[in-house]
Amino acid sequence: MSHPTPLAWLAVVIAALAFGACLLLAMSGGGRVDIPWIPSLGIRFELEFDGLAAMYALLATGIGVAVFTYGAGYLPIHLHHAHRPRDDDRRFWPWMLLFMAAMVVLACAQDLIVLFVAFDLTAVASYFLIGFDRERRDARGAAMMALLVTVTTAVLMLIGAVLLSVEHGTSSIPTLIDVAEAGPVTTLATLLIAVAALAKSAQVPLHFWLPRAMEAPTPVSAYLHSAAMVAAGVLVIGRIHPLLALEPMVLDGLLVIGVCSIVIGGLLSLAQDELKQVLAYSTVSQYGYVVVLYGLGGPVAAGAAAFYVIAHAIAKSALFMTAGTVILATDETRLSRLGGLVRPMPLLAAASGAAAMALAALPLTIGFFKDELFFAAATERGPLTGIVAVLAAALTLAYIGRFWLRLFAGPLGIEPHAVPRLLVVPILVLGVLGIAGGIVVEPFARLAEAAASVTYGAPVAIHPAYHLDTRPENLMALAAWLVGAIILVAAPIRQPIVTRVAVLGGRLGPRRWYGALLQGLSRLSDAIHGEEVRDLRRSVAAVLVPTGVLIGIGFLATPSAWDYRIGDIGREDLPVVVLLGLGVGAALTVTRDPGRLRPVLALSVLGFALAAVYAVMAAPDVALVAVLVEAVYTLVFVAVFAVLPLSQRAAASAAHTARRRRDLAAGVIAGIGAFITIWAALSREPSQRGDALELIRLTPQAHGSDVVTVILADFRGLDTMVEITVLAVAVVGATSLLRRGRSW
Amino acid sequence: MTLIYALAAGALFGIGAYLVMRRDLLRVVLGVVVISQAATLTLMASALGFGAAPIYPLPSGAISDPLSQAMALTSVVIGLATTALLLVLVLRVVDVFRSQGLDEVAEDEVAQEATLDAEHALGHEDEEAAAR
Repeated sequence: MSHPTPLAWLAVVIAALAFGACLLLAMSGGGRVDIPWIPSLGIRFELEFDGLAAMYALLATGIGVAVFTYGAGYLPIHLHHAHRPRDDDRRFWPWMLLFMAAMVVLACAQDLIVLFVAFDLTAVASYFLIGFDRERRDARGAAMMALLVTVTTAVLMLIGAVLLSVEHGTSSIPTLIDVAEAGPVTTLATLLIAVAALAKSAQVPLHFWLPRAMEAPTPVSAYLHSAAMVAAGVLVIGRIHPLLALEPMVLDGLLVIGVCSIVIGGLLSLAQDELKQVLAYSTVSQYGYVVVLYGLGGPVAAGAAAFYVIAHAIAKSALFMTAGTVILATDETRLSRLGGLVRPMPLLAAASGAAAMALAALPLTIGFFKDELFFAAATERGPLTGIVAVLAAALTLAYIGRFWLRLFAGPLGIEPHAVPRLLVVPILVLGVLGIAGGIVVEPFARLAEAAASVTYGAPVAIHPAYHLDTRPENLMALAAWLVGAIILVAAPIRQPIVTRVAVLGGRLGPRRWYGALLQGLSRLSDAIHGEEVRDLRRSVAAVLVPTGVLIGIGFLATPSAWDYRIGDIGREDLPVVVLLGLGVGAALTVTRDPGRLRPVLALSVLGFALAAVYAVMAAPDVALVAVLVEAVYTLVFVAVFAVLPLSQRAAASAAHTARRRRDLAAGVIAGIGAFITIWAALSREPSQRGDALELIRLTPQAHGSDVVTVILADFRGLDTMVEITVLAVAVVGATSLLRRGRSW
Repeated sequence: MTLIYALAAGALFGIGAYLVMRRDLLRVVLGVVVISQAATLTLMASALGFGAAPIYPLPSGAISDPLSQAMALTSVVIGLATTALLLVLVLRVVDVFRSQGLDEVAEDEVAQEATLDAEHALGHEDEEAAAR
């Protein structure tokens, strides 16, 4: 049951090939694609594999290989547990691959519109991945929440992109960075883009979708919620950072949001009992670090931010996969029931221990350097940010320590069953990578430097290394470990506090507001829907009134709309006037007539009168067709009356009379509006003679002599074909209605 | 003549709008017919030139605009198709709801929808899950 499917292996191979290609590109110095996409708007499909792109593309594909391999082992078991067929993974792997491709395009995008499209593609793929267990309502709800939060805010990003390109005449990010200057429009636009990016990176107060998204199968969490989807937000910030830095207030805002995310994410992570929830809140907190670093600005912080993303992605995806393996092995999701797994699962304990140490920034792991750089950037700003940085690092140590120790140390909670090797090996690889990065940090530092140079706009150099002296970074690290260890040990004091914070957050937190907002919207839409089905007349008004308003706006926007021409009335027009009068008079009788045959006959008087008008207007084709159609109308009505039961008419009550008056007023207003509009339209001087002369000239070449016929059958033949299709659809519809849906 | 055509088309539209707003489904259909007549008349009147019929051999002098005539023809035919479909719909509605009064039909429909909602209670399961 646990053998991976061929599709899974295919996905792994594709990810590996993509990783190899990205590695080759990164070593050969990148490459670029630049083709016109929407030339009329100056939008180009502009991709460049620069330093920032290299870093995020390597992460997306590299972590992708590890997670896909893990998923190849995980998914068959997951599907087996849910009593679903093995080949249901065809709803999984295509989305994972699409997600990876979207991430790579997002990393390389140099145009704001391309950036937006890739950004949204990741959200769409994540919707299907989070909601993979579609038979569970909670999974569907979680997917919907993630989609709503990230896509609604992504619209803000589009608005920001449009604002920027209208203001500066280009949507190309490098050009924008060159030409943009501080100004209210630029600030607003960058703020909008930043909101979208922060929501994607699950920053407070829009963080609540991420813990909810833990409904997803674990490989999805390990990929999307550690290295990819949430990284997309900080990637965008890193990409447009020079634009954000134009206004110091924006950077300060980032700083505040980042600190809030670190603190709230860290405290809530300590309060969680479910494995994946601990890690989800930890992600909120960890991306808070990156946002803080971007908020600090400057070359040191840019370098630290890039390095932080690398170190975090490696450690966090390994920890997510650990959680998944433990859950599969023990069928238990709560920390409080688990423990002592170090003896039955030593390899897993070691691998995830390395990852946990990396996240907690212990020496001899890549994580040590991430905090070293973080402390350096924080102290550069001032003592306050330095203290916050130490507290943040202490929190990280505490919640990751709690996670690992509760899982692997202490007495054995639940005896695990054996798990396939595929569920351990990728974790081991990432754990080894985390240790290797702590010994040979150069390649990672170069990668981060290249990325930071793009973010900062000038070459950046970072020198992560071990120094055995009392420089501030080392002292801060020592202080962080000490405080972290104290928090970790002081569980009896800690737990009541964080539980209270969690309860308070649940009561007053943004998720409540979001839920209330969504339910309000849902109720509003229900009310509108109810109104709409209850009353056709209002829906007629819903079409007529906005149309009238739009036409009114059109009038205001067209200064020449008020030129009315009466037009000459010659002697030869007299028959037309008389016939029109006859037709309108006949139509007027319909409004007063309660019967059902007489109104139809009156309408056919109107139709024949109009046909005669067309004949006088030198339109024999229209006149002939109108006569034919009028005859058919009358026949159809009479035929329907033959089977339509007579309705018992209710006696005219006061309410009926009032409504009749209201309808009459509305009808008069509609008529006057239509009259003014049509008169204005007919009064306009034709700017040119149109195509008519050309059509008349060409008719003999089409082997016809009646111009109208040739237009219908030849020059505008496609229109006529559509018209025939409409007729066919109407015939099919009418027939199947009459046959009550029975087959032929 | 511009004014006359506009007056006639406007009057027809007003009559049609009044009929469409009535509570009797049959009148609604009649209203749609009148409104499409108004549209055809407007199309015909919007010709860029009036004169002889555009049929070869062409006489000397002005010739009527063939394009607006072609469009009017299309509009007449499509009007017939939609009206026929509407009429059959009315026939089915009267058959199902035993009434051609809109108010009764709407009440029945709302009642029916409420029973359906109560039976399955699924209305907004997913939205509510997303809001929690």
